[in-house]
Amino acid sequence: MSEKKTKRAHEPGRNTLLAMMVFFFLAFFLLALKDGQWQSFALSVVVPAIIYIGTAGISHLFPSDRLLLSLTNFLCALGVLVLYRLSPSRGMTQAFNYGIGVGCMMLCAMMVRYIRSWKWLTALIMVGSIGLLALPLVFGRETNGAKNWFYIGGYSVQPSEIVKLALLVCVSYLLSQRKVFLSLLFAGACLLMLMLQKDLGTALLYFGVTFILLYTATGSVPLMIGGVAGGAAAAVLGYQMFAHVKKRVAIWLNPWADSEGAGYQIVQSLIAIVNGGAWGVGLGLGNAQVIPEYYNDFIFSVILHEFGLVFGLVVLCMYLFIIIRGVMIARRCRTVFHALLATGCASLIALQTFVIIGGNIKLIPLTGVTLPFISYGGTSMLCSLCVIGLLQGVASRNKAGVKEDRELAMAGGDAR
Amino acid sequence: MSGEAYEILALLMRYVFALIGALIVFRSFIWLRKDARAYRKEMKTLPDAGLVGEIVDLDTGKAQPLPREGVIGSARECDIRVKGDGVLRRHARFEFTEGKGLKIIPARRGLTLLNGVEMRGPGYALHGTQLGIGVHALRVRLFAGLNVPTPVAYPEPDSILDAVDEEIPWTNITVDNSYYLPEERSADAVPFGGQTQDYDGQYDDDGQMTWQYAYSLEDLRQEQAARQWIDAQQDEEEPEPPKRRRRRNRRE
Repeated sequence: MSEKKTKRAHEPGRNTLLAMMVFFFLAFFLLALKDGQWQSFALSVVVPAIIYIGTAGISHLFPSDRLLLSLTNFLCALGVLVLYRLSPSRGMTQAFNYGIGVGCMMLCAMMVRYIRSWKWLTALIMVGSIGLLALPLVFGRETNGAKNWFYIGGYSVQPSEIVKLALLVCVSYLLSQRKVFLSLLFAGACLLMLMLQKDLGTALLYFGVTFILLYTATGSVPLMIGGVAGGAAAAVLGYQMFAHVKKRVAIWLNPWADSEGAGYQIVQSLIAIVNGGAWGVGLGLGNAQVIPEYYNDFIFSVILHEFGLVFGLVVLCMYLFIIIRGVMIARRCRTVFHALLATGCASLIALQTFVIIGGNIKLIPLTGVTLPFISYGGTSMLCSLCVIGLLQGVASRNKAGVKEDRELAMAGGDAR
Repeated sequence: MSGEAYEILALLMRYVFALIGALIVFRSFIWLRKDARAYRKEMKTLPDAGLVGEIVDLDTGKAQPLPREGVIGSARECDIRVKGDGVLRRHARFEFTEGKGLKIIPARRGLTLLNGVEMRGPGYALHGTQLGIGVHALRVRLFAGLNVPTPVAYPEPDSILDAVDEEIPWTNITVDNSYYLPEERSADAVPFGGQTQDYDGQYDDDGQMTWQYAYSLEDLRQEQAARQWIDAQQDEEEPEPPKRRRRRNRRE
């Protein structure tokens, strides 16, 4: 009995998980006290329960990385909390997306864990990805200057989010097979489709991830110089070709010049951040709805407004830990493909977080990408969790590898 | 709850949320560090972690750890680095496949031999297989306990030249490592022709090399002589029409 207790007490991250559950219980309970709605009371119990099941339950079922799971679950639940506080219907939808996303995450983890040969699957994914990226060009509608959505049965789908996963898998596989030209060709085709859709934010992510993977796989300096030169040329070309890019750069340089018009978004975001101060205005006391796209592009500004700068740093640290964990998983890999896949996943999360948070705080021009795990949107949530699923799959393979090494060491481990 | 009471409570809770958040970050950081430390510690107890064996240079006797996959060549970034005449910067790729062995994928240019046979496509090496990379002769050693087919052990011939008279095993392109895997070496065999080797830790109390599949330099010389003899025999034969030869190679 006492041995069992000791084992439980030494379970890694038990206190961290407990702290997360307490956080969300208190937060939803506070909202429930404000609005008196039964959904809020229910969520104060359901969300901590989901965090527990999503972390401890999954790691019992599947050999996964508990730290990565708990941090991801915290950020997802934070997204549900913030969205529920500002718009209960969106919060409930996001909770539903979160549940579906956890299932997709498990699926991706199992694929990486159990699929031995990616050769034909990669070829299939490559063809499918190009086809998927072509759909918005044919059936899509232009929103905020970009034509990157299409609609099926009332649901909007953003293919560039799904193709992110395909890009990670295909480029990692091709580079692991030393097919550098083919990987560049595929990434180039995807970038071209995104340029045609005028979705330059996602194109920037694709370019960044491919660039990092290429450097990791080849370590070739001339290739990198070529990549930087090509990226710079594409940026200048994009600036010259697309009016909305010029507009966004102008807003970034001086949003106050047109604070009631084009610069309204960023100005409101900066005002909300300043109002929040170090400790925030208090959960449920803010007025962040005045920021356009508060639930999507500017959700980090909302967090800074209601929870304050200190909590904003906590959120940033969590992203940082996820990225560090991804790099650690990549370093422990036994095969080049899995190492590249984990590196790609970590770099995608890092780039996406940097691009959107940098845009929110006026560090770089704003681009229309979502904040991973937190922003509202089914496709975004699902894809972010799938990226974590890919990382979990690699982590699981690493664990299996260590287990195998242990068995080999026990068996003698030397030559026959 | 009244508006004022809620406001006071929410203002107080800001600090609680920040505190819990900071606590989670701190605990996560400790968790991250502990895990990294535990992994490092575990790796110290498993020095062969991530490896499937080693590759021994038969000329120098130096062994290099063999990862699951990588590249053999003369470039600095290669996992198995061999320098010398005829060795390309990236001479061949290799990857360990469960149940099959070490898959060797040679580069298009450059000469790669698998048990003395020139490789024209990918082939599998098992424990004891000899690889020829340029002028280098390398021996593949795979760890016991790995899921790979057991090489067929043939009785050791008195000399390789005798074996050549009966059969020319290295013309068999299907690389199943069936040729020349001596089960036991004679007690007075001197490892590596009695030369001083860097390959330490492989000798038992009697000074006998524990690695029973090691070739001595004498063995190598005999093998090279045998190969030269076969080449000479083949040169004497009437050359086949190019098309037919190509077809035969493909079939092989």
